[in-house]
Order: sequence, then C-alpha cells, then structure tokens
Amino acid sequence: MIVAISSSGTDLGSAIDPRFGRCAYYIVYDLDNDSFKAIENESRMATGGAGIQAAQAVAGMKAGAVITTNIGPNAFRVLEAAGIKVYSGITGTVEKAIAEFKKGSLGKSASPNVAEKFGMGQGRGQKGME
Amino acid sequence: MSLKNSVWVKDGDRKEWNRLILSVASGKGGTGKTSVAASMAKSLGYCQFIDYDVEAPNAHFFLKPDIKNEEVVKIKQPYFLSGTGADFSRCAEFCHYNAVAYVNGKVVFFPDLCHGCGGCLLVGPQGSVREKDVVVGKVMKGKAEPGIDFLMGELIPGNLRTISIQNKLEGYINRDDTVIIDCPPGTSCPMVAAVKNSDYCILVTEPTPFGLNDLEISLEVLKNLNIPHGVIINRDGIGDNAVEDFCSERDISILEKIPNDLKIAEAYSEGKTMIEIMEQWKERFLRVVEKIEKKAG
Repeated sequence: MIVAISSSGTDLGSAIDPRFGRCAYYIVYDLDNDSFKAIENESRMATGGAGIQAAQAVAGMKAGAVITTNIGPNAFRVLEAAGIKVYSGITGTVEKAIAEFKKGSLGKSASPNVAEKFGMGQGRGQKGME
Repeated sequence: MSLKNSVWVKDGDRKEWNRLILSVASGKGGTGKTSVAASMAKSLGYCQFIDYDVEAPNAHFFLKPDIKNEEVVKIKQPYFLSGTGADFSRCAEFCHYNAVAYVNGKVVFFPDLCHGCGGCLLVGPQGSVREKDVVVGKVMKGKAEPGIDFLMGELIPGNLRTISIQNKLEGYINRDDTVIIDCPPGTSCPMVAAVKNSDYCILVTEPTPFGLNDLEISLEVLKNLNIPHGVIINRDGIGDNAVEDFCSERDISILEKIPNDLKIAEAYSEGKTMIEIMEQWKERFLRVVEKIEKKAG
C-alpha cells in the first residue's frame, strides 16, 4: 500500500506540512518495500481549489491513505470519492507518522477538520504556521 | 439641447442638468456611500438610481421604493451524466478553478468554484456534460418619491455570482436619464463592475487613516479605468487632516464635506436621508452635481 504524507521537505526527517492542499511536497511511501519518493506539490500556488487538485494528484500516485494535519471539505470529498483513507490532525516528522501508521495507532478521520480555504495565503510568501 | 434633464430646485425654479452617470464609491465600507447616493438622488428628484451592492443592498431603506417587478437571475451550471461510463478527465484538466475533479471514474463537482464558462462541455465527452439553469438572485424595479426610477439587485446569501446580478443591472442603465449608481465597498470586481460605466465617480471617505488608505486604493482603480473623480469627506471633524492634504497635493477636488453630526446619524438610523432633516443640504448636493457637470460634461 502507498501512503502520501504532506511534507515540508524531501526526506523522512522532514516535518509534516500542516496544509494538505498547499504543502511543499508529498512523501509517497510504499509500505510493501519501504521505499519512498518526494514529489513536489504543483497545486500549492493554485488560485483556488488547491485541495481538489492535490487530492486528484494523490489519487494519481495510487495512494491508499493520506497523512496530514489539516484537511478541508473539498479535498476530503475528492479523496473519499477516490477511496483514499484520510488520517488528519497528525504532526511531527514524516518518519514518526509512518512508524505509527505501521503500528496501526493512527486514527482514521471520518470528516474534514478545517474549513475551505484554510491553507490559503500561507503558501504564498506569507509566514505559515510554525 | 436634448441631453438635458430637468429638476425642481425650488418652487417654480426649474433647472436643467446634463445627463450623467454618476457612481458613488469608497474603498472602505461604512463611510457613507449610500447616504450620499440616496441624498443626491432625492436632491435631484428625477433620476435613475441603481443599488449595485447586490451582496448587501441597503439603499431601499432610504429611498423606500414601491417595487413593481422582480426578475430572477439565472446562470448556467454543468452537470455530468456519469452513468454513461464516459471519461471526464479532460473536464478536470481543463477547469482552471478546479471546480471539477475526476477520480476513480467518478466526477466530483464543486458548484461554488464554477465560473460557468462552459469549457467542460466543449472538452468533455460529447453529450455527457450538460448545462442547467441555476437561480443566483434577482433584480427589482420600482418607483421612489418624487420621480426616481429605482433598481436594485439581490444575490442569494452565500452565493458567489455577484457579477451575474450586476450584469443584469447593467442592461437596465438608462442613458437618457441622470443615473446614480450606489457601488459596493472595496476595490475588487464588484466595485469595478459598478463604476466602469460611469462618467464620473464620487469617492466618499472619512478623514481617518483607514479612510485615506482605502481612498488611495480606490483612486488607483479609477485612474486605471480613466474615470474622472472627486471626493466627498463624510464625518468631517473626526480624525485628522491627512485626507485633505492628500487631495490638495494631488489636485483631487473635494466636492463637499459633511460634518460629523449626531442628527445625521439619528436620521440614518430611522431610514431618513440627511436632506429630509436638513433642507439646506438639497442645495448643496445639487451644487455638487453642478461642479461635476463642469468637470465631466
């Protein structure tokens, strides 16, 4: 199974980027062979609907699950339609999140946890959440 | 001259005006746009008045029109016949606003993001993308005392298609009449749509740092649109002199100054314009129109 994690950097030691739709990278982790690659998020600068575009991209990566901090209603709807499980509210490093996911200690989210346009502005030269 | 409109100034003293489209705008909300626009319409007596602030119309509280007819405003919205097994991926790729997503053979549509361009019909699988009419609001027409042709638009709360309603209003602008356009606040698309047809724009501001900041932004918009303009300072006496200094430095005419007067605020709260409680302001607003005629005419 492939897990996509919103990440601020390109390696496993990177902190999870809190914004699903406007994160810097996705760490696409293959649990079957413990390999990963970092994919730049092309939607982060979208004028609108970044979460929708990002969710489609993640579906294109054949991900079965998404790990992130904040996810809005639009992205959530697309991920749901794609049959991708969402684990939100997760912070810390990508590595730690994967370890916890493997142990089965992350709880699946049944609904979005932030409003539309929540991540807007933060990816556009303004200071994001620290 | 045929391009004249007449108005009663005093009993028996009929005065003629050039026909003008006057917009009343301001960057900052709550500076007195509607107060000025409604007072001016009442001073003129005979004109067309259009409340272009379709997200929060309020001029009808002051002009109290007798609304005679209502017309719904519809937009086109796509819908997708997904049971056909057709591939909608090109619709998702095409949509600049990401209103259409296509995953796992399923279409997810976000009507709030759709701008109604119809592109998905053109690029999508033939016959599987269709359009339907969706009501986004209405425009209302009526008469207000003494001889005002009143028009307003109302967007359904939460809807984002402001411009669709304004476009409908635009079609009713009567170029054979003097027209007062009460603009929405701000300087984004709805404000631009409201001022773009005007011969002259009155910017209402208050003499505070907030007022000045938003005045400067509004002036940039008007300069870009090449619309002659002047300023009315409302609540004169509060704040500082920065607005006046700014205008004199840039040679922007200050058309009138309305004092910060509790009586005006009390009248406002009862749905009355200032000319209903201070008769002398009728003359003063007419003089403003006269000044504008000279500049714009």
